Amino acid sequence: MRNVAALYAAVLLAPVAGCGGGFGEIDLPDEPPQLLSELQLVRADEDGSLLTNDRVEPYALNTPLFSDYALKERLVYVPDGEVATPDPRWTYDFPEGSAILKTFLVVPDLREPEVDRQRVETRVLIRSNGEWLAWPYIWDEDGSDARFAPSGMTASMSVIDRDGASRDFTYLVPQKNQCQECHEIEDTVTGEKGIVPIGPTMRNLEGEHDGSEQLQRLVDAGLFAEPLADRPPPAAHWFATVGQDWSQVDDETLDRVARDYLDVNCAHCHNERAVNGKTSQLFLSWDNTDRFRLGVCKKPGSAAKGTGGRTWDIVPGDPDRSILHYRLQTDDVGSMMPDIGRSLVHTEGLKLIEEWIRRMDDAPCGVEE
Amino acid sequence: MRLALPALLALTACGSASFPNVSCKDAASESCVEVDPLDEEQSLLDVVNTVGSDTTIVLGEGTFSMDNQVTFRGADGLVFMGQGMDETVLDFGEMTTQGNGVDAIAEGFTIEKLTILDAPKDGLRVEASTDVVIREVRATWTNENDPGNGGYGLYPVSSERVLIEDSEAFNASDAGVYVGQCIEAVVRRNTAQKNVAGLEIENTQYADVYENIVTDNTGGLVVFDLPGNPVVGRDVLIHDNVVTDNNRANFAPGGTVAYIPAGTGTFAMASRRVEITSNTYANNNSVDIALISGMVVDSDPEKWAIPEGDLVGSIEGLQLDTADGVVMNFRSSEIYVHDNSHSGSGTDPDNSDQEVRELGFLLWVAWGSTPVDTVLYDTIGESSFDIEDASKNSNDNHICVKATDGVSFASMNLENVPALPSKDKMFRPEPPFTPFDCDSFTGGPLVTPTFAAE
Repeated sequence: MRNVAALYAAVLLAPVAGCGGGFGEIDLPDEPPQLLSELQLVRADEDGSLLTNDRVEPYALNTPLFSDYALKERLVYVPDGEVATPDPRWTYDFPEGSAILKTFLVVPDLREPEVDRQRVETRVLIRSNGEWLAWPYIWDEDGSDARFAPSGMTASMSVIDRDGASRDFTYLVPQKNQCQECHEIEDTVTGEKGIVPIGPTMRNLEGEHDGSEQLQRLVDAGLFAEPLADRPPPAAHWFATVGQDWSQVDDETLDRVARDYLDVNCAHCHNERAVNGKTSQLFLSWDNTDRFRLGVCKKPGSAAKGTGGRTWDIVPGDPDRSILHYRLQTDDVGSMMPDIGRSLVHTEGLKLIEEWIRRMDDAPCGVEE
Repeated sequence: MRLALPALLALTACGSASFPNVSCKDAASESCVEVDPLDEEQSLLDVVNTVGSDTTIVLGEGTFSMDNQVTFRGADGLVFMGQGMDETVLDFGEMTTQGNGVDAIAEGFTIEKLTILDAPKDGLRVEASTDVVIREVRATWTNENDPGNGGYGLYPVSSERVLIEDSEAFNASDAGVYVGQCIEAVVRRNTAQKNVAGLEIENTQYADVYENIVTDNTGGLVVFDLPGNPVVGRDVLIHDNVVTDNNRANFAPGGTVAYIPAGTGTFAMASRRVEITSNTYANNNSVDIALISGMVVDSDPEKWAIPEGDLVGSIEGLQLDTADGVVMNFRSSEIYVHDNSHSGSGTDPDNSDQEVRELGFLLWVAWGSTPVDTVLYDTIGESSFDIEDASKNSNDNHICVKATDGVSFASMNLENVPALPSKDKMFRPEPPFTPFDCDSFTGGPLVTPTFAAE
């Protein structure tokens, strides 16, 4: 199973061919150009790899968001002479004119993730006039360039999973305004709303990726400032756990991996400053220590059929009675979580959360009504 | 479904065929876009995702078949309008991805004159917004009694200054009209029918709810706070509504509303400063009005603890339970019920599920063959209770029930219900219901919103 993990790591980075010639000067607009290549950050080479401008660096996340098994190429651009500065809790603070690109690729067979990869979409975040702009692009069939697609797209697809089973699903390229569903926050102090990146935090970047220490590489490339000396522990490396039998893992490790999984897959909405999720009062950030708001014996406010007929978000020791588990287990449109971005069950994540809930030893929730 | 032919012909003379009732000529904003369902070149989602602030979007007559949610973000002062509830339909029945029907966050959002059909989740969700107007909007699902229907029909949440008027909600598997966590809401002249809960006011401050028709739901018109929510509900005025025949078998797939017994007219739970007056209650088979403590849904006070720093809105003048640095809003207090009409209710309480819909079963057993009293109080939080002697009943929660024609009252002592519940073990006073015969609020009259004065 380690091999699969290694393959993933390779797939994540290899197609980004690094800097190539032929780019014009970067001057990021505040209105989306029709073609992705017009940003002068990336373009597709004839062999299908992505060529990137000099100041564009690839990066990977220790624990990535599950998106129906799509593979992702992540790129960051920071203008020459500037650096992104770390924040102790949230993502790096990026200077004006920075950009973050996330490209989604699908493969027909997860057992051979390097075969017949197809770029579907690239989501672009641009730092402009003190705020982040979010634009979706959809790749042409021939993979030559991607076009601005404000209304997104849905497409029927199928994938053969690691167990050899064919799974049909609806792939969603979010419409432009759906970017905010995950990316919009309301500042807890100023009350101002705005789009923020989610992935590039110190803790989810720190560690070895593609043969080098990633934070150091980004510092050396001149894009990032030195990380804070006093910083939270790095997030778990998700792909190193593929195939893991969670029943064989010690409590501490299990808790860490599970909390990081929930942090990345849920806490972009389920945290106290997320416009789309704070209403729930369910906070799944890795560092939330309030067990009730983590869901333990908490009844949801307005989950409707998303409860699956269960009473509490988490029933310690009993995943099958926990709504959180149901939300991951179901693929019913209207019931599953995350709210957007998945239509398949993430089998590996589900197993992890199952074991995590099973091992909880908080007091029982009381009598089921 | 369509306008009568002569009217249609007359109107088309001054507009294009798809815009018989409203067009950009009628728009108050400078910027306006018309979207014709017959025009395949211009997708509705392209328009929705590219408009700037202060724009009106006018939808033509016909059906828009949607494969994704209609999402509004990042643009304020929007008006989104169709030709009418019967004329313009956003149909989400074929949608295979997650999502609501229309989903908006904006400072200033008006939606009117259209129908939202078969949304996977909520029909209309408006969140964290201000100055929201929902007018002549119908949210509905094709199937009746289907637990697979979306949860909420019209759902403004965490918003300020919300007006819902002349709208309709049908067949929601949770609540038809659901105002949640809002500050200042006016809900008037709407129809909620065939939902699990018809019209809900949840964790909301300063609401005026009137002239709504709430009929044929499981539960009719309800007010409550949920535990752990930062908005403490207060000042909710419910008047001149018709709340009748709410006897539909509960079809909720889960959630708090699954506990509502069929036949419930109104309940106020974990609520304070609520006035229920001049409404018409009839033929609600369990009970017309029940006043209950939040302890009934969650008996752990800690679940109701809100850190003072987290509070949204005002708790000034409210007598809330407090502990170290937190306030708790499980108690129902300061509720005034008066001058409603009652007929034909309480004759057949919901005994369908002794465990889930415990309250319905209790009423069924306790009242036997006689009709349940029209106003019930659970007595939770009172310092003293006696079956017979009025002077030995406290009214610490300041519950006021006026003894007008057709009103009977029971203080149920729910915390100490005997193994075989009986109305004879309750305090069921003769008029004037002393000590529950107060007729005002301790902190002065309710404050209701003025932003939507007619």
